[in-house]
Amino acid sequence: MVRRVLGLTSGRIAIGILVTVGLLAAVGPLIAPHDPLAGTTDILASPSSRHPLGTDYLGRDVLSRLLDGSRVSVLGAVQVALIALVVGVVPGILSVYLGRAFEWATLRLADTLIALPFLVFAVAVTALLGNGIPQAMFVVGVMVSPLFYRVARAATLSVARSPYVEAAVVAGASVGWVVRRHVWVKVLPPIAVALANTTGVGFVVVASLTFLGIGVRPPAPTWGGVLAADLGYLSFRPWAPLAPTVLIMATVWACNLLADAIRDVTGEAGRALLDARRVRAGREA
Amino acid sequence: MALLTVRDVRIRDGVTEREIVHGVSFTLTPGKVVGIVGESGSGKTLTCRAVLGILPEHFTVSGGEITLDGRDVTTLTGREWTALRGTTIGAVFQDPASYLNPSLTVGSQVAEVVRVKKGYGRRAARERAVELLGAVRLRDPGRVYRQYPHELSGGMLQRVLIAAAVAAEPRILVADEATTALDVTVQAEILDLLADLRERTGLALVVVSHDLAVVARLCDEVLVLRDGETVEQGPVERILYAPEHEYTRLLIAEHEQYGLDRYLAGTRELDHAA
Amino acid sequence: MTGHLRRAAGVLVRSVAIFVPVFLVASFVTFALRSLSGLSPANLQLGESATPEAVARIEHQWGLDRPFLTQYLDWFGDLLAGDLGQSWYNGAEISRLLAEGAVISLSVAGLALLIGVVFGFGFGVLAALRRTTWVDRAITGGMTVISVMPSFVVGIALVAVFAVGLGWFPSAGYAPTERGFGVWLAHITLPALALSFDTVSDVARQLRAGLVAAYRENYVTGAIVRGLSPRRVFFRHVLRNGIGPALAVLGLKFPNLLGGAVVTEAIFGMPGFGQFAAGSAQRGDVPAVQGVLVVSIVLVVVFNLVVNVVLARVAPASARGV
Repeated sequence: MVRRVLGLTSGRIAIGILVTVGLLAAVGPLIAPHDPLAGTTDILASPSSRHPLGTDYLGRDVLSRLLDGSRVSVLGAVQVALIALVVGVVPGILSVYLGRAFEWATLRLADTLIALPFLVFAVAVTALLGNGIPQAMFVVGVMVSPLFYRVARAATLSVARSPYVEAAVVAGASVGWVVRRHVWVKVLPPIAVALANTTGVGFVVVASLTFLGIGVRPPAPTWGGVLAADLGYLSFRPWAPLAPTVLIMATVWACNLLADAIRDVTGEAGRALLDARRVRAGREA
Repeated sequence: MALLTVRDVRIRDGVTEREIVHGVSFTLTPGKVVGIVGESGSGKTLTCRAVLGILPEHFTVSGGEITLDGRDVTTLTGREWTALRGTTIGAVFQDPASYLNPSLTVGSQVAEVVRVKKGYGRRAARERAVELLGAVRLRDPGRVYRQYPHELSGGMLQRVLIAAAVAAEPRILVADEATTALDVTVQAEILDLLADLRERTGLALVVVSHDLAVVARLCDEVLVLRDGETVEQGPVERILYAPEHEYTRLLIAEHEQYGLDRYLAGTRELDHAA
Repeated sequence: MTGHLRRAAGVLVRSVAIFVPVFLVASFVTFALRSLSGLSPANLQLGESATPEAVARIEHQWGLDRPFLTQYLDWFGDLLAGDLGQSWYNGAEISRLLAEGAVISLSVAGLALLIGVVFGFGFGVLAALRRTTWVDRAITGGMTVISVMPSFVVGIALVAVFAVGLGWFPSAGYAPTERGFGVWLAHITLPALALSFDTVSDVARQLRAGLVAAYRENYVTGAIVRGLSPRRVFFRHVLRNGIGPALAVLGLKFPNLLGGAVVTEAIFGMPGFGQFAAGSAQRGDVPAVQGVLVVSIVLVVVFNLVVNVVLARVAPASARGV
């Protein structure tokens, strides 16, 4: 599947951007020209050869701060996506096989979670429990997991009720075997799409939380934090928000682009994600 | 005084740039029933759609002429087509359930035609619709009026569609595989209904089917199509009992071979032999 | 006609049946936050210098040393009566504080929803009617671009360009309607616009997809062949059935709208619901945060209820999950 996605231009662009960001996160702090925490007297400076993106209100080099902050964003986004995946997919697949009670309970739970505004909850929980970004990402991951639950469930349902699987079951195949052999293949593409989309959401959430100053202790640099600082000094450097904005948006756009590319490449299987009607069918079932 | 003249019509697929239908001709006068027989892909549905003006996007009439109600259809604008449909020519298709809006009651969809095409008021249209539902032999038409498509059987839905198709009193009705998806007994009833409409109102019919029995029951004239070509054409008695073309003979022979009569005759033979 | 009412009532009852457990579970979790957080009013009022006796005294004052279940039932009971308790920060009635903030937030969210629905609907219909032409491609592309812009990014851009740069709109603050309708509108336009982008793009996309799918259905051919005009076919048949996914997504988007409000209010300096939430959270004012969460839940549930009922009335086929 990866190969097919790379075959699309959109796929190449998306993966290119994401790999770049990933690299920034990994080696960013090492290649940053200046210490992101070091203030200088050269405050609110315009871009120059010394400070390619200028400096902020404490004289800190913006480029270095962004490079350093990419770690938080990438880790946070990946964390949300993975947690949502694990928490959502397993019950989703199992809900088709473990009987009515389990199905009803998990469906209602998914309804509950999806009805709640996750950002408000994330803010509340993070601030109240006095924890950092990772814990907030955990909460967000759990709250966004219903998406994976529904996607996995819809895909599993479509396969489980298909004639060839019924034949296998009649021939004596166990649930585990059926899942491994047939369900997994059908389930993987829409999950991949959901994963890409959720990672995008994760980036937005991290940026939002750090923007509000929740979950990180200043002066640790984050993309959202840089943006928030820029906001206060908009009249001095009106173009300043451009850098973190482009960074955030490009990353989120790449995630969604990747999701679209996967969907295009795997055809109808990916539509389970966007097809609200199928989501409803999962709800009514 | 022909209602519909189809003369050497050719239909072309713009995507593959190939001609799919190579010259089909027939004429419809009031009360006449023309049958088009053929297997899938023979071009019979495309011909119907051309006559109704609903060819799929990349298909065009590349040759010949279709004259509906005295007018050349290629000169018709969208608005003129809308005016003609329903009042001059109507249609029913296979799989009746899918041709009705699932979110509206079936009655309101029949009444809609009456209101829009005949200018009736709300209540009058409702009453007329119930009348029509009764005319297509639905029991308890008042109750059926209020029901949704998913609550009715295939046979009942096809009757509703016929009611909607004739609500604006068209002179031609195209029935494209109208009985194919229905049970055999229901098929017979629908065909009787169509024959009845023809006798009472002089409705002209174009009956398309792959089932020779359907054609035999209703039609005056038959066209046999294969791969877009008219393989044979003529009065129904001649086509069915004295076919000239090899393909027609094949169709008839297969129909007989797999027909119920033959099976029953065959088992009786076996019984005798035992 | 009574058939319709009966059906609507049925949907209402079913939706309530689904959301009541949602409410119960969510409110329970919300309440449990306090114990999990280990915070108490003592932190707020006494700060670092709290002696254990002082802390115990304050906790007793607030009734926090009673058994968990008693506290929960008390709180829940008060909740149902509309009493959200008192803030640890300044002892004020939380219901009142929230109400003040809610007016502001709901104005912004309301306008955002309106913009989202109107433009999303407009773009979706336009794209569907002119599908595969350049209009469709432009709109679809535009919607994709918009969908990746988080509301606070848009907000900042809007402030930078229209408020600080061009000076057309005020850059911060809220003006109550008493100061004049125009002034009020001027203050809430930019934040509402920022919040609406997400909704516009999702509604447009879902509507377009729904309409395009509906157009491919046989019942459209059926309607056309009966001689109904394209306009009538669109409104009575296509739109009615194609609107399902768009309405469903609207219901799903509402929580996002509330969440986005938290950040946009920070950008535009509006003392609304979202600001109150963030501020209370940072101060460790647990009852206030609980109040915010409960109100959010109620809002989302009510909104979804309304959407469900509308959906059932307009497009029963969609509601049936067909």
